[in-house]
Amino acid sequence: MYEQIAFYLFATLTVILFFITVMSKNVLYAMTSLAAGMVLISGFFFLLGADFLGVVQLIVYVGAVMALYAFAMMFFDATKDIKATHEKPLLVFFLGGMMALVFVVIFSAPVIGANIEAHYPIMEDVGNAQMVGMILFTKYLVPFELAAVMLLVAMIAGIILAGKKMDHSLTTNIEDVKEELLKGKK
Amino acid sequence: METVLPEVTAVGVIIKAVIILAVISAIAGFGTYIERKVLAFMQRRLGPMHVGPYGLLQLIADGIKLFTKEDIIPAHANKFIFAIAPAITAATAFIALSAVPVFPDFTIPEFIPLLGGTFVPSIASDVNIGILFVLGMMAAGLYGPLLAGMAQANKWGLLGSARTAVQFLSYEVVTGLSILAPIMIVGSLSFVDFNDYQNEHIWLVVYQPVAFVLFLIAGFAETNRTPFDILEHEAEIVSGYATEYSGMRWGMFFIGEYANMITIGVIASVVFLGGYSDFFFIPAWIMIILKVAFFFFFMLWVRAAWPHIRPDQLMWLCWKVLMPLAVVNIIITAVVMMAMA
Amino acid sequence: MSLEQFKDRNVGVQNYRQLDLPQSPTTAMCKVKQVAKRSLKGELFVGLGVTVREMVSTLFGKGLHTTQYPFEKLPISPRYRAIHEMLRLLESGNYRCIGCGLCEKICISNCISMETRYDENQRKEVSAYTINFGRCIFCGYCAEVCPELAIVHGGRYETASEQRASFSLFEDMLTPIDQLSLQQEYQGFGAVSPNADDNIKKTPLAY
Repeated sequence: MYEQIAFYLFATLTVILFFITVMSKNVLYAMTSLAAGMVLISGFFFLLGADFLGVVQLIVYVGAVMALYAFAMMFFDATKDIKATHEKPLLVFFLGGMMALVFVVIFSAPVIGANIEAHYPIMEDVGNAQMVGMILFTKYLVPFELAAVMLLVAMIAGIILAGKKMDHSLTTNIEDVKEELLKGKK
Repeated sequence: METVLPEVTAVGVIIKAVIILAVISAIAGFGTYIERKVLAFMQRRLGPMHVGPYGLLQLIADGIKLFTKEDIIPAHANKFIFAIAPAITAATAFIALSAVPVFPDFTIPEFIPLLGGTFVPSIASDVNIGILFVLGMMAAGLYGPLLAGMAQANKWGLLGSARTAVQFLSYEVVTGLSILAPIMIVGSLSFVDFNDYQNEHIWLVVYQPVAFVLFLIAGFAETNRTPFDILEHEAEIVSGYATEYSGMRWGMFFIGEYANMITIGVIASVVFLGGYSDFFFIPAWIMIILKVAFFFFFMLWVRAAWPHIRPDQLMWLCWKVLMPLAVVNIIITAVVMMAMA
Repeated sequence: MSLEQFKDRNVGVQNYRQLDLPQSPTTAMCKVKQVAKRSLKGELFVGLGVTVREMVSTLFGKGLHTTQYPFEKLPISPRYRAIHEMLRLLESGNYRCIGCGLCEKICISNCISMETRYDENQRKEVSAYTINFGRCIFCGYCAEVCPELAIVHGGRYETASEQRASFSLFEDMLTPIDQLSLQQEYQGFGAVSPNADDNIKKTPLAY
């Protein structure tokens, strides 16, 4: 019974929070509800007994949304509403609705067909993290490594893009300071 | 009488949650007194002296002040976010404590009526992945300062929240990587397993001194203690994220910070310093209190001794020094473990 | 150093010498070496040692710098110029003031006002004497000019009160007759403070 109550609680809250994320005009509300929704999604993992995935969800998305916040802070005034200009609201509404419909159909089809079953059910003695590791490093080794390589590529690209002038300090370059002093003397 | 009661009952969990909340809040309050006294003695002062004997009741006076102070919300602030931000800090600090074993499991003595003989596992919820849960929850706790700073329509607050993001993105990697090597040795993510492992072998700090130091450094960043207190440093950004806060909301930030200090102390003692296991003749529960008290004192000690660093220095330190060190530590640990196996 | 040089306040052109800062590392290897040296040198632990040493010595009562002010007071110098005191003659117990009016004349902030009259023995008698402490700047001229050492500055520096008049009447400033034996003679303007010996310290000659 507790699980059902918890599930419906989490489900309602998550839906409401993501709704706020999409609909709010205030960037602070949107970001905060996004973060809270991500945290609440980890609740589903805990309910399903997948503790490890739940915590990973928590850690990863807390960090990711924190980075988003950093961008929001740089681009918007967090205390004011944002005036968005909708050029073709009807088209946006139509496309969004269609996409939502397609997603619902895709995800509900197997449930309605009732042929969904757990390939790797939870075992009592083996820990959660161990099981994830087992599957990750046997059956899904290639996708896992591919994902790792992709992330590495993205990281290196990011470093190269950002790091061209990394070693040039604007404030603490002693040579520049000396030059300035010499100029002052003349 | 046999231990017949089930280990985890809903009532037991609720009781334990209430006890954790009450005790840790009290300790956090008392921690402010300890901090003021220790800092005062280190600076050749006396600290609070007038309220009660040796200023012991200062804590109550401060509590009354915080409770009765006017709760000001700035005019242009985002009121809802401004109001919930302190609650995030305090709540996540206490949620993190729920998965930390503070004491060894014990049986309530027979002479106590009603509950005598009940076996009590001292951890409120023994999740399998305790370490990750606690670290994740403490990371989520930084949303408090972040939201507080962004919601209050104040330049200093905004700077404070920007620094929060910087700090979070810096230390989080080090925390995770530094604690990975002990996890590999023990082969579990549960605090109880860590404790049992060190009960059988020696303390993990002997195997993993580098990881211990790295974790402590990251822990200082996680609790915003002095070498890394960049997000509320008075000399630079007034009070950072807490600039516009007053009264009980500010007090909640404070309690959250002190609860986090205790949590970091407990994690460091359980993961690296043998946790709550007997040490020669000293019983386990005294040992864990001593260890946590040492870490608490160490944080105050460092605050008195060392200056704090700039945000760019923190990023430099975390990404260019500590993270490579942690990775090298993990690789060496892995190689040694493979060679031993 | 000649006077012209001394008066030249134009900072930047004088012969200031840049400190011999160590060369900042240029190559990556040098940087690594610098980090390693600074990390392993143990300077951080020197700081920790100093603070814990101070803590222990303070706990045992040495080196404590706090004066718990309302309960303990440091002795103040006799040169200190606080609220005035009116002294009495030690032999007769009569007040010393002869009503000459010099203090009223010299007072640069015009805060002393006095009225005098002749009594039945044709001696001058002070019938009213007040100092307006809202105006007094505690310059000390009144005490300096007084030919009888009747008005002096006392050491009563805690001047918060509910009314200004609490200090300003002649009777308030006059030494109480029952405390005549405790009356301190004014030591003069060059006097040293009673704890002057304790305050003498070795001055480092390095700077």
